[in-house]
Amino acid sequence: MEMIIPIFIVLWGSIVFTYKRMLRYLHFYQQEEYNSSRFLGWWWRCRAFDLKATSLLFLAGLFDSFTEAHIFTALSVALGLILFAWQESDPRVYGKLTLKMTERAKRILRVAWIISAVFALGLAVASIILDPLWLWLGLAGRFQIIPFILILSNGFLWWGERQRQDKFIQEAKNRLKEVSPFVIGITGSYGKTSTKDALGNILQVTLGPTFWPLKSINTIMGITKEIRLKLQEGTRFAVIEMGAYGRGSIQRLCDLTPPMAGIITGIGTAHLERFGTTDNIHAAKAELAQAIPIDGILVCNGDNPGARRIALENQKNTTLLYGLETSIGALDCWISFWKTTAKGTEFVLHWKGKEYSSFTPMFGRLALSNILAAFTLACSLGAQPDYVLAVIHTLTPVDNRLQLDKLGPITYFKDAYNSNPVGFCAALEVLQHYPGQRRIVMTPGMIELGSIQKEENEKVGRLAAQICDLVLVVGKTNREALVKGLQAGGLKPEQLFVCDTRESALQQLTTLRREGDVILIENDLVDLYEAKGPF
Amino acid sequence: MKPKGPSKTVAVLFGGRSAEHEISVITALQMVQALDPFVYTLVPVYIHPSGKWYTGKALLDKRFYCKLEENLTKLQRVTLLPEPGQKGLLKVNKENCLIIEGLIAIDVFFLAFHGQYGEDGCIQGLLELADVAYTGSGVSSSSVAMNKYLCKGILQAHGIPVLPSVVVRRNQASKSFESAIQQVIHTQGLERFPLFVKPSHLGSSIGISSVTNEKELAAGLANVFRYDDEAIIEPCLMQLMEINVAVLEGDPPQASVVEIPIATAQSLTYEDKYLRGGKKSSNRLQGMASLTRVIDPEYISTDIKATVINYALKAFNLLGCAGVGRFDFMFDKQEGQLYFNELNPIPGSFSFYLWEKCNPPILYTQLIERLIDQAILRKTERLALQREIGFKALQV
Repeated sequence: MEMIIPIFIVLWGSIVFTYKRMLRYLHFYQQEEYNSSRFLGWWWRCRAFDLKATSLLFLAGLFDSFTEAHIFTALSVALGLILFAWQESDPRVYGKLTLKMTERAKRILRVAWIISAVFALGLAVASIILDPLWLWLGLAGRFQIIPFILILSNGFLWWGERQRQDKFIQEAKNRLKEVSPFVIGITGSYGKTSTKDALGNILQVTLGPTFWPLKSINTIMGITKEIRLKLQEGTRFAVIEMGAYGRGSIQRLCDLTPPMAGIITGIGTAHLERFGTTDNIHAAKAELAQAIPIDGILVCNGDNPGARRIALENQKNTTLLYGLETSIGALDCWISFWKTTAKGTEFVLHWKGKEYSSFTPMFGRLALSNILAAFTLACSLGAQPDYVLAVIHTLTPVDNRLQLDKLGPITYFKDAYNSNPVGFCAALEVLQHYPGQRRIVMTPGMIELGSIQKEENEKVGRLAAQICDLVLVVGKTNREALVKGLQAGGLKPEQLFVCDTRESALQQLTTLRREGDVILIENDLVDLYEAKGPF
Repeated sequence: MKPKGPSKTVAVLFGGRSAEHEISVITALQMVQALDPFVYTLVPVYIHPSGKWYTGKALLDKRFYCKLEENLTKLQRVTLLPEPGQKGLLKVNKENCLIIEGLIAIDVFFLAFHGQYGEDGCIQGLLELADVAYTGSGVSSSSVAMNKYLCKGILQAHGIPVLPSVVVRRNQASKSFESAIQQVIHTQGLERFPLFVKPSHLGSSIGISSVTNEKELAAGLANVFRYDDEAIIEPCLMQLMEINVAVLEGDPPQASVVEIPIATAQSLTYEDKYLRGGKKSSNRLQGMASLTRVIDPEYISTDIKATVINYALKAFNLLGCAGVGRFDFMFDKQEGQLYFNELNPIPGSFSFYLWEKCNPPILYTQLIERLIDQAILRKTERLALQREIGFKALQV
């Protein structure tokens, strides 16, 4: 019975600390889209084990078993835990993608609390009946298994969650049927979001009310929510970005929003880790082409062999190819000349036997390719080419996709979103041609490329070495491969800077930069891959 | 001094479904700080971009708007019925049902909107239907003021000089974009670039661009059609000085001192008007007051100032404006010619920074008091109008 007061004291500290910890783990769980195996993969890979509280409790256990000063130990532990909790950053406020307290997140937390409380109660009883050591060591164990408690909680909620999702999906389907816009699906390994944004803007101005989900929303639940909340009566077109997270996922999206037309921006190696093989990627993207009816429109990137193959295998009444490389094969819409200027890109476009010279404030091969895709589809829907080009003249890059930022005499290009080999090389090409003096790159390299990650990072390293005057390598994930490539490409040691975190790299950059510099910030990894704060 | 009596309840309406939503929030929050709490009871009424009306004290904190959607739950939904005899706003619950006995009594509606639906006669129409007192111009003067082409046409017909211009409508461009462009460059007075392309119905420089060739003109038009269904195109003056002056309703209406807004580029951009000056972290709201400007400069001749004021007062009377209106003029330094450019029936920050510099100065608090008093006065004057409604024609 002498343990009752100490238990009471320790519990207070434990509640505060557990709360903060749960939020932090939930933050990463959410970023992995509540996929438990991916979340556990992260936990194991990053060794995100609890050190602070466990060490404290072990010490407390040791001290307590020698001195039996239960109340003193309990007080110190409680104070220690509260101090630790106070030190931990709040993931709802900090982090590149903050923790969003959605209804689902709240539900998971609530159930996780109940599981934790039951667990704590068990420990309390055990420490009274058996040995006080149960309390100290048991609590340490409980802090270690918080990720599992979250997974368990999510598991308990699975059925209800499923029901709720099905209900929402049905609502979205009904809404879509009521409004019945002409649906255009967009998929590909890169350029989906930018193409969607360009096409959405073009159709909205030239042909009529258009709906397109914001930012890079491309999952079933994301699109469902957008449709339920934002699809308005009278909308004529809906442009839907379809993300492929494995075979069958695009088919499910096509079931939600049956497309009448589609764009395939290109098939590359992005997310190879999730797909396993490149064949799987191809099959997944082909699902969009298969879902389009025969009298629909299919627009594919002719520069990309995979997309070209899909066009060939899935002929529709209107099947169109666009591209920048006329050497690979016939194209229906192409750009024959382009030039990077200080304000954007000038280009000459060919469509239906006519030549149009135009301009866009965007940069790079990839941006041009996306614009071409949007142009081709809009014109095949009946938009006037010169009107479409006028809209293209006013487009701005989607957030942080090779976005130009002038800070006085220094030029920044921010290309900080899920970088992949094609995007990385296109960004380096812009860096090479943009008017300026020294060329600098800051990057943590590319991720989620499975077995070819090392090789691809080495490759871009070699290319960067030939273009850049200075290179800042961020973080540890791809450091070895990047440095190897950079050295092989001939970058001298004094031109290379290796930084542990994004913050220290930015710090380094502020001391290095000078007038006339053109700086490319290539890829910002999500919190999952960045140095995590200690647990 | 105000007579001691029961304080008046003032509903400050702001936000709305216009591209200038954010600016309206700034104007309102600033105005609320200047409202005399001993004389008036404040009811902030925020119109969400979705068009729904909300009230609640939380609206007075600038930070509220950073997490808008989450914070909406802290507010009470309200509405105004479009029929006379309402004593104020009615509370609405989540299911769009009116709450019985959920009345928030209001004496005066204070409009702090900018742009479409709030400054162009729309909300004024609702307030007229509800037969309540509201500040600022009425339906017709608001709507004429917010149609740049119409406004210029009317003032030109009364001898106030304006630049030549042409209007292109969205549906015209949808039919043939090429012919829309040709129409512009064949308009008399618009044969030479650079030209200025702007939305007909928007203020705050949204969608405005100056163009130097046909391709840019096309882009400028496309840009306007994102926001507005009508674009107005004018020549772009090379040696331009903008001169603004505000006019306050009264007997007779009174003009403020003039101001020269200073822009970095050729003309004011949205960023110029609202984002410059005032650090993000600072708690003070700047809005239109943050703009770099010269007030009542000595380098402008008294002649020009007098002409500007003269034109502004004339236009204010002609259009039957009320409250505060800001009249923006352009002075062509090459030709020495003054042109009326546009009228803001609800100017950013109510141009308080101009009234403060008048002789004698009108402080922001006094300005608000005058606007409210005049709103009540106008409402009482409306009572004197006869309304004869009969059923003679139906009684055969």
